[in-house]
Amino acid sequence: MDMLGYTLKRMAISVLTLLLVAAITFFLMNAIPGSPFMTEKSTPQQIALANAKYGLDKPLIVQFGNYLKNLAKGDMGVSLKMQEGTSVSKILFGQGKFVLSMKIGLLALLVAVIIGIPVGVLQAYYRGRWIDNILRVITTMGIAMPGFVVATLCLFEFGVTLGWLPVQSNSLETFGAYVMPVLTLALNPMCRIAKLTRTSMLDSISQDYIRTANAKGLKTRVVLFKHALRNSLIPVITYLGPLTAGIITGALVVEQIYHIPGLGNYFVSSILNRDYPVIMGTTLLLAALIVIMNLVVDIAYKIVDPRINITKKGD
Amino acid sequence: MKKVLAMAVAASLCAAAFTPVYAAEGEETVINACIASEPETLDPNLESSVDGATYATHMFEGLVKYVPTDAPAASDGTEYVDLLANDMGQAESYDVSEDGLTYTFHLRDDIFWSDGEPVKAADFEYSWKRIVNPETAADYGYMLDGIVENAAAIQAGEADADTLGITAVDDKTLEIKLEADCPYFMGICSFAALMPLRQDVIEEFGNEWTNPENIVVNGPYILTDWVHDSYLEMSVNESYYNLDAVGPDKIRWYLSDNQTQQLSSYQGGEYDFFDTLPADQIESLIASGDAHTADQIGTYYLYLSCDNIPDWRVRAAITLCIDRDNIVENVSQGGQTPASSIVAAGITTNDGENWTDVYPDRMYTALSEMYPDYDLSVYSDRCDLAVQLLEEAVADGYDASATIDYEYNTSDTHKAIAEAVQADVSSVLGLDVALNNSEWQTYTNNLSLGEFGMARLGWIADYDDASTYIELFTNGNSYNYGNWVNDEYTDLVTQAKALPGSAERDELLDQAEQMLFGEGGFTVCPIYWYTQQYCIKQNIKHAAWTPLGYFVLTYAEKTAE
Repeated sequence: MDMLGYTLKRMAISVLTLLLVAAITFFLMNAIPGSPFMTEKSTPQQIALANAKYGLDKPLIVQFGNYLKNLAKGDMGVSLKMQEGTSVSKILFGQGKFVLSMKIGLLALLVAVIIGIPVGVLQAYYRGRWIDNILRVITTMGIAMPGFVVATLCLFEFGVTLGWLPVQSNSLETFGAYVMPVLTLALNPMCRIAKLTRTSMLDSISQDYIRTANAKGLKTRVVLFKHALRNSLIPVITYLGPLTAGIITGALVVEQIYHIPGLGNYFVSSILNRDYPVIMGTTLLLAALIVIMNLVVDIAYKIVDPRINITKKGD
Repeated sequence: MKKVLAMAVAASLCAAAFTPVYAAEGEETVINACIASEPETLDPNLESSVDGATYATHMFEGLVKYVPTDAPAASDGTEYVDLLANDMGQAESYDVSEDGLTYTFHLRDDIFWSDGEPVKAADFEYSWKRIVNPETAADYGYMLDGIVENAAAIQAGEADADTLGITAVDDKTLEIKLEADCPYFMGICSFAALMPLRQDVIEEFGNEWTNPENIVVNGPYILTDWVHDSYLEMSVNESYYNLDAVGPDKIRWYLSDNQTQQLSSYQGGEYDFFDTLPADQIESLIASGDAHTADQIGTYYLYLSCDNIPDWRVRAAITLCIDRDNIVENVSQGGQTPASSIVAAGITTNDGENWTDVYPDRMYTALSEMYPDYDLSVYSDRCDLAVQLLEEAVADGYDASATIDYEYNTSDTHKAIAEAVQADVSSVLGLDVALNNSEWQTYTNNLSLGEFGMARLGWIADYDDASTYIELFTNGNSYNYGNWVNDEYTDLVTQAKALPGSAERDELLDQAEQMLFGEGGFTVCPIYWYTQQYCIKQNIKHAAWTPLGYFVLTYAEKTAE
């Protein structure tokens, strides 16, 4: 099977995965008690009327069928509670929530990779020396500290005490608004990437081909980055798939703490408010993102190391 | 050249990084506040939350409005926020018929919508008919039930919304017919959900009529920007008739429910005002002078299920053994007052006196008569009587080994109160109490299903009348979660509500409240009367507070720090 065939097959599986996610989410969210129309002062009659207005009085299977039918037409429904009557696609895309989350997520990913990999290489090269020891302590701390602790510490130190950076990042209108959320989100994966790179680099640089390269008198920079690093990146790329998911879930906390009106923040609120169409829309969007990232990672394997077989029988 | 360019880019990036987002905005006075997260709606008819009402009060004005008084908002005399009182708003005067059933309001001549159109009586008629119409599905649709003619029948789907007893006689005259003489009707006329609305705007833009580009208002401020889940920005409405009284040029309401982030934003200088303080820091913030309290007409109470704790003596024993002084001093720590009745402090009688002064300690009145040997103003005596009541119940077959489920919605404050109650009930009565928490939606569902022994709730008054509390426990009331059934009580409340404001009406409501805490009663266990904590910067003066629980920044003045 060639690359195109493999990609098409994976895409078909991805669509099925999304359908399964949609079904599980739909029935699970309806299984938990509560109603989007329940407020401190709403009466059962009002809730019944609102249920009828939005078709929530129909059997679940009918509701799910209607949802899928509308989804196929590109209609994700309207918010029932948080922005009653506003279309979910407008909330997610028109109001910039998705873009905001992606901006922070991708920047954090970029920072994690750009800093994490060189740090790992540096550690491997100076293995056992003081630079390696200091960086090992720092990376271990970065992995051990939960995101909300780092975010809160940064918030108090740089936002409240020193006043250097805005406490609320809001819609990321200034450069300063990016700094804390992106660094907070990037810290953990950055340290993990550094550790992974260090380990696999240590493995690579003890291989014969590296010894040969050194013996041929190649410059250290070329040996490290051209020969050793390329093979060491496989585990890092493997990690990028789950990392994408991790960054998105990590964004929930970061968006809350730095007051960023992104997708993560809204996702949590939609569940607490039982805003069913928003829950579905956000879940499917995040699931699609993760599925796509995993697909991209699988294809990236092949590009980085052509020896890897991405099909059952191999090429 | 490259180096110079790189340095210039780096310098500008650093400058951008260290420039506060909320820099001074020229000569404009801007107050940055935060009272809640994204509102569900800005449509006054559809809102039912305190934040929704607050925004509506800034953008719209009813027949009656709130104006500042000289009194401070806290009974302890601290003067950070002024107390508001009702005054004539869009109506300049009104007449009442002799039977008290027909109100005729005369609107001011100088009132205009923000698009320049005059405010007409028909705008009120449209809004009031819209809110009672069941198709609108407004949470406050019931608000006019039993007050304005046909409101209850319309809500029940038995009459058309057009039959509501409200008529625009001409552009400036509005006639409202009541079903009974209602002593708090003028207060209702200032209610945020009953603001006038423009039919043409709502019909043209549908759900999006409250967007900044579409909204048309008649109050002191107009919505000029709305970044969802980030902030609402209101600017002075130049068409408002009383511009001289309006304070800040802009109010920016940040939308957040993260208490720690709100406190950080306040401490970092990005907020001038916020009112959702982290529970564990209220005491220290009050002690340091950063936080203050305002009196609020509201009661924090527990439902005691009549199905799961069927013996009223056990329910009474639980009510008696709770050390409310300990809860307000050491647990909630927000300056609350221990409650001794379900009617909250701040509700007034027909004569304008504080209800809880005229009818004090109703939680203990009936028991004091039944057990005169105990002085129920003393906690130790209350505990002794609680033990006796439990023993009587056990002698009659109550199983004291049964575990009582205490349900509460997830919150640090509710958890701490639940633990204090659990400790009291366990140490005084030896009963086993299991604490269960769930998030709000699941919690309210459990309440509706009656799956609890004890469960917490708070009730902030909708209007200044004792009936707002007492009718919660009538037969079939959707808030009677304890499932208490008492025909005599229900009849008393119905009789009282049919009477005009009078001493007789107050007496009937008081009798009902005594019955609530008498033999067979105790479906409710009041804990404390609410206060509202808030932080406000010292350079803000004349922020104001309605006793029903809304902060108003319309009249505030902000000076340089």
